[in-house]
Amino acid sequence: MSQELVDQVSKYLTPAIPIEPISQGAEAVVFTTTIHPYLPTINEKQKFIIKYRPAKRYRHPIIDRSLTKHRTLSESRLLAKLYQIPGIHVPKLIACDPYNGCIWLEFLGEDLPDAFGFSNLKNFLWMHASENQNPYGDIVRETLFKVGEQIGLLHWNDYCHGDLTSSNIVLVKKDEKWEPYLIDFGLGSTSNLVEDKGVDLYVLERAILSTHSSYAEKYNEWLIEGFSEVYKSNGKQGAKKLNEVMKRFGEVRLRGRKRSMLG
Amino acid sequence: MVNLNTIAPKNGRSYYIALGLEGSANKLGVGVIKHPILKEQEIGDHSHDCHAEILSNIRDTYTTPPGEGFLPRDTARHHRNWCVRLIKRALKEAKINDPRLDLDVICFTKGPGMGAPLHSVVIAARTCSLLWDIPLVRVNHCVGHIEMGREITKAVNPVVLYVSGGNTQVIAYSENRYRIFGETLDIAIGNCLDRFARTLKIPNAPSPGYNIEQLANKCKNKDQLVELPYTVKGMDLSMSGILAYIDSLAKDLFKGNKKNKILFDTKTGEQKVTVEDLCYSLQENLFAMLVEITERAMAHVNTSQVLIVGGVGCNVRLQEMMAQMCKDRANGQVHATDERFCIDNGVMIAQAGLLQYRMGDVVKDLKETIVTQKFRTDEVYVSWRE
Repeated sequence: MSQELVDQVSKYLTPAIPIEPISQGAEAVVFTTTIHPYLPTINEKQKFIIKYRPAKRYRHPIIDRSLTKHRTLSESRLLAKLYQIPGIHVPKLIACDPYNGCIWLEFLGEDLPDAFGFSNLKNFLWMHASENQNPYGDIVRETLFKVGEQIGLLHWNDYCHGDLTSSNIVLVKKDEKWEPYLIDFGLGSTSNLVEDKGVDLYVLERAILSTHSSYAEKYNEWLIEGFSEVYKSNGKQGAKKLNEVMKRFGEVRLRGRKRSMLG
Repeated sequence: MVNLNTIAPKNGRSYYIALGLEGSANKLGVGVIKHPILKEQEIGDHSHDCHAEILSNIRDTYTTPPGEGFLPRDTARHHRNWCVRLIKRALKEAKINDPRLDLDVICFTKGPGMGAPLHSVVIAARTCSLLWDIPLVRVNHCVGHIEMGREITKAVNPVVLYVSGGNTQVIAYSENRYRIFGETLDIAIGNCLDRFARTLKIPNAPSPGYNIEQLANKCKNKDQLVELPYTVKGMDLSMSGILAYIDSLAKDLFKGNKKNKILFDTKTGEQKVTVEDLCYSLQENLFAMLVEITERAMAHVNTSQVLIVGGVGCNVRLQEMMAQMCKDRANGQVHATDERFCIDNGVMIAQAGLLQYRMGDVVKDLKETIVTQKFRTDEVYVSWRE
């Protein structure tokens, strides 16, 4: 991360709020801080996430302003709504400043053992694909099933994520088991269209395929199992809706350009 | 372990020479490339640094009048008419007197592309192969672009943005395949620009995209922007809606439709937007989308190098925007090539084909030399990389 960027954020946040950069995504930089924006400090170890969308100098200021505002606002709205839905795991929203592209969130996740990095799904799967580990172990299966469930719940409630990748799913350890949390709703939306849900699933499938190529088939199968479970538990109507989504998912998959038309 | 030297060059030479034939769209390209045998290539992945020497790189473009696109039948006829002349010129320029002795391999584009033009070129390739008794190698057009870009810029493992008239893809290498991270869901970016150029009735020479770029440079009011749809869908993008929308604006502009509030002032009827403004807005909007998905892919695979290939990659504004994006990411580097290697050419087919040949991938039977319009980048097994 360039120093210039860090300085820019420090200036905006004022020196009273110490920040530590943790990652640079495509459109936002993420920092941790120990200061709550409006509540007093209760314990010294508390941690919060600040997600800052810096102005992108490569694009025209008009495009940039409208995108930053739109995405920050819609992400905050979605998080606030999703947090209230039982069963869905998303980080808690603390504060939001759409004009400067800044949101505060609760801190989630931890570091994986043996320097595999932060506990997102990507690192988790890589850890289990490394030597002396079983990429098809029960823990992997169970976790992926739960991820599928989270996405199922999201879609069942007519929300779409828009950018489902294995790095946008954070795993939180609870009683030796991993609970997946969906993060980064920058491209999220509310939608009851099967199209958007189909595209969502397709984006995830391709992301898994490109980052975890060797085991992707099984991984995707487990994800879909979890996804289907949510719909199926909602009776006849659920099964009908599931059918629609999966049908569209298949259609979206065929849609890519220049695919050889075998079979 | 990759060993690029398993197959010895013909007649005990210390170098390989390949002829590349490309004709998947309206450009017919013939190129000759030379690879010396390098010791280090026996023990590892040096496919980005073959010390390639370009002996000749000749291209002929089929240009249509303003307002018209190129049709497959006419393009194929153009290729048939020019193919022999171009091959002769290329060989002469490369100082190859007897192709029977001097050429190791002939490489041709298998796909993707327009069927008819591909066909006329592959016939030339087969003929030469039988005439001179030289093996054939079939090359994926997109992989050709990537390998040429890597060789020229020496980028080891970049995220590749491949933007041209028929393709828009963000590609990254992983486990012997060039995997597609994001791509267009409908039309390609070059196609979008070309078709807008047709609506504007601006010349197709040297290329429609270049003329749009020149018009955009002349835009006097760069602080303002005509608002266009911004359609990034995850890693993918969609451009047909943008084209339809800006096309309708251009048509209203030419008709002088005063009811259009975006183009004309409702009270005075004064024109607010010019053709140059439209071109500028279109470029800004489309390229912002491209750079965004590239950045997304870079963040995802955690790399700092970008390589831009394909015809639209010549666009200076796109290169500028990409450079700015990389500058803002730590240690980012942009690699781009110029018009000789960005736009479809024969050398790139020769480069990728020669790598394939050196790994032992040759056509064993003429039956295998069919061409195809649909041939995805990730279908190719990349044996020459680790």
